[in-house]
Amino acid sequence: MSHAADRDLILLLDGELDPLRAAGLRRHLEACILCREREAEIRESLADYALLQSGIALPDARAARAELRAGLRAQETSRFAPLAVALAACAALVFFFASRAPGDLSKPKTALTPGETRVISVSDVCRGEAGNPIVPVSLRQKVFQEYGIRDARPNAYEVDYLITPELGGADSIRNLWPEPYSTVWNAHVKDALEDRLHRMVCEGKLDLATAQRDIATDWIAAYKKYFHTDRPLQNPG
Amino acid sequence: MSAADQTVQLFDRHRAALLRYLLSLRLAVPDAEEVVQEVFLALYEHLRNGKPQSNLRAWLFTVAHNLGLKRRARDQHLIALVPLDTIDESPGPEELFADAQRQSRLQAIVRALPEQDQYVLALRAEGLPYREIAGILGISPGSVANSLARSVERLTRAGRRLYVTRG
Repeated sequence: MSHAADRDLILLLDGELDPLRAAGLRRHLEACILCREREAEIRESLADYALLQSGIALPDARAARAELRAGLRAQETSRFAPLAVALAACAALVFFFASRAPGDLSKPKTALTPGETRVISVSDVCRGEAGNPIVPVSLRQKVFQEYGIRDARPNAYEVDYLITPELGGADSIRNLWPEPYSTVWNAHVKDALEDRLHRMVCEGKLDLATAQRDIATDWIAAYKKYFHTDRPLQNPG
Repeated sequence: MSAADQTVQLFDRHRAALLRYLLSLRLAVPDAEEVVQEVFLALYEHLRNGKPQSNLRAWLFTVAHNLGLKRRARDQHLIALVPLDTIDESPGPEELFADAQRQSRLQAIVRALPEQDQYVLALRAEGLPYREIAGILGISPGSVANSLARSVERLTRAGRRLYVTRG
């Protein structure tokens, strides 16, 4: 008599065998004492392992639950921060923008804005502790000077972080450029990409370093890559 | 129920299982706890954005697995791996009578299994069906069964030596 394979015995034990094969294997077990002994041995070793796992001493849950609640509150608060920052930036830019645009600035000039990061943990990024600081007026002026913009139209640009601080971007002039609102690939489109990358990082689907590199290297290419599209989406979600 | 309340409810239900699984990835306890926090903050975003809520347990384990491995790679908080051929499976006279030591040896045997086999064992012990284990680890359900058969073969072989004085 041939004996049942361990694999089949485990499948039977776990209820993963299809009903027909399970019935056949049960009949076989009734007739095969060695197979029954093996099944018991398997059952015991898996039970021992389960006991080992369930016996692991875990830290008290109360402190962890309190920490989670605090994190949830922080995340809720930070929910509206990007909008507030964008509005504040728009209002401030009124004072500095005028009517002429110096070429296509959908993407920054690499020599001026290569992108810069600061040290931050994924945990802080995902807790919303990374923040999205408003660019100080003096720094904005320097950005416009660097890009040769003297008098742009109001609301024509957002002085935007190339690597958003919410993904660990630095509050540095090397990470800022005047991003137009009027182009196809504009600041609103980039905001959607930033949200997508942030979500992917926090869901563990993307390394923070990769997200930073992709957005700094070519944010438009990154948008196409992560949204699987060649053009900006109406409702990227 | 708000997304925050739902998140806390799921935290109460699944935290222990996720922690145990993360510890089986050989994360230190503080790191595992931190990853669990990250997992549930991600869950909160998931719920708040109206994402699918079918089988959130599998979703939680998937995110925990991904974040746990990344954390481990980053922080190098690895407990030293014990190569299989360095484990002396012959029983010592005292340890056969000591539950703690027996468990310790069982743990050593488990740690000597290929990592993926350990993950499969741990996920099975948490009651996940093969289809979900396969989804979390990115393998087929058939590979889950093969992995368990390999592990069981090692465990039972070692068990004959470990439990020779039983019964």
